[in-house]
Amino acid sequence: MAFKRSRLISRTGPGLFKVTFPPHIRAFLVQIGSELDSALDANHPALTRLFPTAYPDDAERDAGYQVFAHGALIDQRREAIRHVAETADADELTLETLSQWMRVINDTRLVLGTILDVSDGEEMVVDGANEEIVDVYELLGYLLSEIIEALQEDL
Amino acid sequence: MNARSSLHITAGDQQTDTVVVEDTDTLTDEDLPWQVIVWNDPINLMPYVTYVLQKLFGYSTEKATSLMLDVHEKGRAIVSGGTRSEAERDVHRLHSHGLWATMEHES
Repeated sequence: MAFKRSRLISRTGPGLFKVTFPPHIRAFLVQIGSELDSALDANHPALTRLFPTAYPDDAERDAGYQVFAHGALIDQRREAIRHVAETADADELTLETLSQWMRVINDTRLVLGTILDVSDGEEMVVDGANEEIVDVYELLGYLLSEIIEALQEDL
Repeated sequence: MNARSSLHITAGDQQTDTVVVEDTDTLTDEDLPWQVIVWNDPINLMPYVTYVLQKLFGYSTEKATSLMLDVHEKGRAIVSGGTRSEAERDVHRLHSHGLWATMEHES
């Protein structure tokens, strides 16, 4: 007998998804969005992965790129955070909304992965100092995988 | 080789001046194609990178997966290209999705 894994997100039609996240996970998404928003305000050093350089060997050109890109990237991220807060209780999500949920989750993972100094091929050392962040990082990875699996079916 | 161009400027009934413009940088930027690179990073999930490449560029699952594996195994992959402004637009869209993307001239 095969056991079918219960999925948290399933595609119900073109651009439509059913979400069965429990309430504490929904509250958690709103919370991480709020914390990401605060980090954007404070220009936190762990945000470097959210604002990469376009021209690594040309500081002048990169400065020109950042003039328009940096502000736009902040606006897009704030829009996603706002969208998640407004739709956190919804059971039926559109492609646009689920994409915004994915954005907030992935952005937060990038920030936490930077704080944890995640690197290829090296086992992460978990101790009392980072245990809580590791737990959140791994939970976000799980939620992200669920979202990607559903979105792939809509391509 | 320096690129030189001559502009003939006529202002009303005034005399015609010839201005020689040496502008290697601008002509290089416009004439030489740029390529957009996605670099390996230890944080982004492999299925996420594949999905973003499919979503942004309309690539098939096979092509997006192949590019993602190049990123993961070779450290980088060329995912798109074009004029400087086209490449900047693609880099920006990739940055918006949290991928580590840069652009450079085709070598």
